[in-house]
Amino acid sequence: MTNFFQYVVSGLSTGSIYALVALGLALVYRSTRILHFAHGDITTAGTFFAFTLLGLNLHFWPAFILAMVFGALIAMTFYFCVLVPAQRREATQLGQIILTVGLGLILQGLISYFGGTEPQSFPFPLSDTKIYRLGNVVISELSIGTFGIGLLTCLFLYLLVQKTRLGLAMRATSENLPAAQTMGIPTRGILALSWGLAAALGVLAGLFLAPTLLLDPFFMLEPFLKGFAAAILGGLNSLPGAIIGGLILGVSESLAGGFISIAFKNTFAFLIIILVLLVRPEGLLGEEFIERV
Amino acid sequence: MDLIESYKEELQLIRKPWTRVWVGAFVLALLLLPWYAPEHITYVFSIIFIYTVGVQGQNLLIGYTGQISFGQAGFLAIGAFTFGHLSRLGIPWPIGLLGAGLAAGLFGLVVGFPSLRLKGPYLAIVTLGFGVAVYQVFVNSEVLSGGRMGMIIQKLSPHFGLSRITYNYYFNFLIALLFTLVSYNIISSYMGRAFIAIRDNDIAAEVIGVNLTFYKLLSFAVSSFYTGVQGGLYGLFLGYLEPNMFTFMEAITLFVAVIIGGLASVEGSIMGAAFVILVPQVFSSFKEMVPVVYGVTILIVLIFEPYGLYGRWFKMRLYFRNWPFR
Amino acid sequence: MTALLKIASIETLYYDRIYALQGLSLEINEKEVFTVLGPNGAGKTTLLKTIAGLLKDQPNKGTIQFMGKRIHRLAPERVSRLGIVYVPEDRGLFRELTVKENLDLGCWGRKDKGIHDDFEFIYQLFPILKERSKQQAETLSGGEQQMLTMARAMLRRPKLLMLDEPSLGLAPLVARHVYDALSQISQAGTTILLVEQNARMALRIADFGYIMESGRIVLEGTSKELQENEDVQELYLGLGGETVSPKGWRLYKKRRTW
Repeated sequence: MTNFFQYVVSGLSTGSIYALVALGLALVYRSTRILHFAHGDITTAGTFFAFTLLGLNLHFWPAFILAMVFGALIAMTFYFCVLVPAQRREATQLGQIILTVGLGLILQGLISYFGGTEPQSFPFPLSDTKIYRLGNVVISELSIGTFGIGLLTCLFLYLLVQKTRLGLAMRATSENLPAAQTMGIPTRGILALSWGLAAALGVLAGLFLAPTLLLDPFFMLEPFLKGFAAAILGGLNSLPGAIIGGLILGVSESLAGGFISIAFKNTFAFLIIILVLLVRPEGLLGEEFIERV
Repeated sequence: MDLIESYKEELQLIRKPWTRVWVGAFVLALLLLPWYAPEHITYVFSIIFIYTVGVQGQNLLIGYTGQISFGQAGFLAIGAFTFGHLSRLGIPWPIGLLGAGLAAGLFGLVVGFPSLRLKGPYLAIVTLGFGVAVYQVFVNSEVLSGGRMGMIIQKLSPHFGLSRITYNYYFNFLIALLFTLVSYNIISSYMGRAFIAIRDNDIAAEVIGVNLTFYKLLSFAVSSFYTGVQGGLYGLFLGYLEPNMFTFMEAITLFVAVIIGGLASVEGSIMGAAFVILVPQVFSSFKEMVPVVYGVTILIVLIFEPYGLYGRWFKMRLYFRNWPFR
Repeated sequence: MTALLKIASIETLYYDRIYALQGLSLEINEKEVFTVLGPNGAGKTTLLKTIAGLLKDQPNKGTIQFMGKRIHRLAPERVSRLGIVYVPEDRGLFRELTVKENLDLGCWGRKDKGIHDDFEFIYQLFPILKERSKQQAETLSGGEQQMLTMARAMLRRPKLLMLDEPSLGLAPLVARHVYDALSQISQAGTTILLVEQNARMALRIADFGYIMESGRIVLEGTSKELQENEDVQELYLGLGGETVSPKGWRLYKKRRTW
């Protein structure tokens, strides 16, 4: 039983990372209907940027904030310089997905060139080895921090989207673009903001993930795929869905890894998703497909 | 657009005499290539032929039936390792390739089932999960993947006094040609029209009598058959297999090839296959920067030609056909 | 009186080769109700979308001037900020947002004190919206949705209100309510450009009308002139025409004068 709780706790901590990644993907999908394949690479770029800044003896918090801004800038630049012209030329949905793949390749190459491909350890203010005991369950400081930051971000995002005028505009734009345009809402700006926000969330996830994994240009690939799966699990259109999907994925993966087989951890995670999707094709909290014939 | 006047004309692969000329010239050029080009170009072209098969299969699925799959690397791995095991048992290559295709096709059928309920990104993630699962199974099972050192496969021994590379070139060329002809026939048959109907509006297709279950599964099976054969050819060509050749990036490469080439066109698939192989090759002198250049090329092509290379080709042809006018 | 909106020989194309509007010109004066009538496919909706800037890089040729400034090929957001409000055929509601949120979005970019008064005005015009303010827009009935879009459009204090078939899919009684509200809006001093299939209703409230066919304006005149025009009567108002032949069948199709 103790084992069980231990796995759940560590699952919640990785789950909040997945939730952060999934939130970013869901934000992008909601606003522009694009599966964002460069999300992981933008995250990696931001994390490497933070690493470089730390190397210049900058303090942790300003470095982290600058890294998030850096990630957001990449995403917004991509939106304005690539996606907008492509949309003007009537790029197809799949074509736009491939554009993000292209961005991913570019970033990957640049990171490998400037950051080096050797794995590096990432210094972090919260320690991985300092642990707290809760009954028989052991929690590291880092896990608490990760979970906490995940919760805080979700709260922040909830307040932003549901309670502010900006959030209202974001919801309106993602729902009905032409109508939002005729309302005089600056939709380009709102969409770019969604991309930037998504990237910042991704970088945050990357920063909290980097201390446990080693930092190399491909360290985000797996969490990115998991975040993707989590977003789908919750229903790509729904932000709460992304959070719940992320937590469920993290916990179930940790349980599967602990009780069944560590080698097939990923496979089990995907198996769960496939089963959920077969019962609810639109994801847990996604809107049901309403088809007009 | 071509004007078709009779059913016989509709069935013809090549309708215009001019098209016949340039297709003939193209095939002739490819036939003569190994005699004039340096060896490494022959080698690269052989790989393009191998990819052509898989990209066409993927295009049948994405472009014609409209089902997104990111699990193509899984089918590729299944095909390749099936072929490897069969050839280890001493089974000749034609049966080996067929077996590779059939094994992948069978799994395609299984993966196709979720497509009956899922759509778009949701289907994409299920197929992605399949790809990841297959990869992990091969990584973790030495029985299946042929051990720690990878699987060694007997390469083709050249006949007719040709060098190994030239022989491989012709071998892959003929197989790619065969599959291209098959693709053309599929899309101009009832099957192809059913696929297109499903892509455009699956409910309407069902209402007019297309058996949705059957044709969706069929498109998955056919597409993964192609991909499985590609895997087999790849194994036969390289003479060696390991699970790391079939990661997520491989699935993405096939996907990129389809979109860059142009959705729903066989010619596009060929161009796309050439693109994903040639671009990294051409820019290989940039070393670390290859992915950057590759990415930039993708961005440029897709920004300026949203319908892919085939779209550009199509517009050019239209321009020259109507030349003095417009 | 100077024209509020002046369109000079615009051409709009779809897919670079299909002409939807061919050399169309019209002028709209301030504080009047203008209606554009025409059969399906005449290009009425295209005309409104072109003005609103929703069609990329269109109009291909010609100019659109609004209060003396050129607005063609501007982004829809910019056009909207100038005070042109377009109410699309599908009503353009944010279906997942509540009625109140929809109305709030109508005030986007406004910070003046008049917002409160405007809310009063629209709630007095459509009292039902106040009752439903917490409800999601997609749960409203068709008539209520139409009222919501009109109310939302009014909150933008439009200088020119463009409506695309406000009576579409509404029961006659509801449609009449909508039209009553429209005439109240117009009396309050808003210029309205109305596109309709239902000629009778539109001509009742309009001051001036245009008849459009296959991308051109074929007839224009005051509402009264149009109502008295023989062709308009036969083709759009359904009057006459049936008793032309003594034997009960017509030997030839009546020739239109345009």
